[in-house]
Amino acid sequence: MTLKGYTRNFPPLEILTEEQIEEIHSGTLRVLWTTGVRMEHKGALETLERNGCKVDYEEMRVRFPPGLVEESLRRCPSAFSVKTRDPSKSLMIGGNRLYVLPFPGQRTIDLETWEPRVPTRKDFYDGVKVLDALSSVHGLWSYTPYFAFEGVPPAMGLLESLAGKIRNSGKFYTEGYSKGSEQFSIRMAQAVDAELCVPCLLSPPLTYYGDAIEAALHGAEAGFPVRISEGAVYGGTAPATLAGALVSACANLIAPVVLLQVHRPGTRIFINDFTFPQNMKTGAPGFGNIALSLHAAAFNQIWRRYGVPTCNGAAIPASKRMDFQGGYERAISTTLFALSGANFILLHGGVAAELTHHPLQAILDDDIAGMVGRFLEGISVNEETLALDLIEEVGPVPGHFLSSPHTRKWWRDEQYLPQSADKLTYPEWLSSGKRGCLDYAQDRLDDILANHTPPPLTAGQESEIESILEEARKFYSGQGLITEDEMAVYRQGMKSPRYPYE
Amino acid sequence: MGAQAVEAGLDPADALAAMTDAIRVIGEGFRVGDLFLPDLVGGADALTAATPIIEEEIQRIGAKTETMGVVVIGTVYGDIHTIGKTMVATLLQAEGFTVHDIGINVTADEFVAGVRKHKPDILAMSALMTMTAPEQRKVVESLQAEGLRDSVKIMVGGGAITQEFADSIGADGYNPTAPGAAKLARTLMGR
Repeated sequence: MTLKGYTRNFPPLEILTEEQIEEIHSGTLRVLWTTGVRMEHKGALETLERNGCKVDYEEMRVRFPPGLVEESLRRCPSAFSVKTRDPSKSLMIGGNRLYVLPFPGQRTIDLETWEPRVPTRKDFYDGVKVLDALSSVHGLWSYTPYFAFEGVPPAMGLLESLAGKIRNSGKFYTEGYSKGSEQFSIRMAQAVDAELCVPCLLSPPLTYYGDAIEAALHGAEAGFPVRISEGAVYGGTAPATLAGALVSACANLIAPVVLLQVHRPGTRIFINDFTFPQNMKTGAPGFGNIALSLHAAAFNQIWRRYGVPTCNGAAIPASKRMDFQGGYERAISTTLFALSGANFILLHGGVAAELTHHPLQAILDDDIAGMVGRFLEGISVNEETLALDLIEEVGPVPGHFLSSPHTRKWWRDEQYLPQSADKLTYPEWLSSGKRGCLDYAQDRLDDILANHTPPPLTAGQESEIESILEEARKFYSGQGLITEDEMAVYRQGMKSPRYPYE
Repeated sequence: MGAQAVEAGLDPADALAAMTDAIRVIGEGFRVGDLFLPDLVGGADALTAATPIIEEEIQRIGAKTETMGVVVIGTVYGDIHTIGKTMVATLLQAEGFTVHDIGINVTADEFVAGVRKHKPDILAMSALMTMTAPEQRKVVESLQAEGLRDSVKIMVGGGAITQEFADSIGADGYNPTAPGAAKLARTLMGR
């Protein structure tokens, strides 16, 4: 069974003309052939050269012939399924299907001071539990809910993060890589009979370091899907103009598409538009800027033509609190991403750009995803929904529709009922103690933490996950990447009676 | 610009002072919000291009210059984020420091080599990512192992760094913002 997500039942928003798409595409082909892309991976360079690319080994620069680029794009499946630990949560990625996923934070946030703090192991596992409980969260993105948690050496951060997601959720997983960690991640996913989406992360402009290529090849060789992600900021690591940034993004992202499709034809790929206008004051990515939505809309249109599913990587605001700015920036981004045909949107839980995540925000975002998802479903027009006989039956005033079986049957499907929004009448609001959406979201959070039970691992799966973690601990200690002091603190945390959950 | 100044026969020390004044104006404009990163980086590029030519002329004629101090700056190994580091480097120049920017993805050994070569008063390190922050500790330890730790003040920054972390690795200073880092450098120099 496949997780339904949200289905867009009308044509996507298209902001480029055919001529504009052609100009961007031609520009992309030119950049790939004349400028080329630096790939710091000898094996990849050799593979690409054998398949017709021009390779400068000294500069590690590859130039891609246009025919090979177009053939490689044609080899990408335009829609594909991904297996998950809980079979009912498997995904069918592509087409007019939208899935919404959480956004990570380096830390959690204190709701009284709005200051970040390092999450504990319990914070991390509770955060995953909340994401597992929310029906609008269709999978778990890399580094979510937090980049790492207290007591874990940096070398083990990603693997402990994936272990937490595997233990507390059966939904789709994708996880980052560092110093070869993907080899352990792939085995952890295999241990629970799930597929892991392995990323290949660009270092813009036009550069892939060896570890990015290595991770992508490891993922493809395991038969897993790969996501290719751009992290450019236009004005900094891409041209400041949106058209130039689109050419740059497409050239950046197509390079590993070609590599993967010549290395292992038919590899399942989706493309993550994680690009931003540069904040010219701070140097940070311009989270929440409307130019980001313009870029994403055009990006979705171009890659729809290429037949490769897309992710729009950040519907997250720059706002440091759960406030008005946070609300409008994330709602506008999410809406425009969805209308323009994104297959994934990263939304839930992010506060203060990439700095923090909080489950309370994830619960608030559940309503944004639900509202936008309902909009995408569109309007069903048929004999029953047109209700002509009913209109005839009810007639003019004093007739009404409230008591009709048709109303009882349809109204819930036609509306979306937000779970945290304040929709009370004014007197009801007064008597509620003047409660608002944060209060209702807190009620939901308390309820989920008290009552939600993620699908458990079997004893054999748990033992296998812990055994792979232990192997990784020894491997990274042997590499000198975990100090004795770090390991002592780490092992102390494992003595908790509630390990690994607290 | 440097070559033009030399060709025009300007006193090279005056030319260098004028360029530093210009960067200071740009830095102040940036601080108050009138100017933006493209202005700051453009100014820094002009200064970086002109300085070696002017300095060569200063050495040739034996003129004397003043500097607030010498700084070696770089982003640690595994981290390729350049903007924050460049902002700090530029604002340090605006404060009158002589800055040697040794780039991004700089290993501990390369930082040690930079300290040996430039004999800085301050070593400044940036790390944006949680995963790369421990590299700053490695650099401090390498400097200790080479007997160079006491020869230089160390300041750290970047998105992944906190005061607590800076204290834990024995850094002499930390500031979360680029203008704050430039002021911190003055403080470390006792100014």
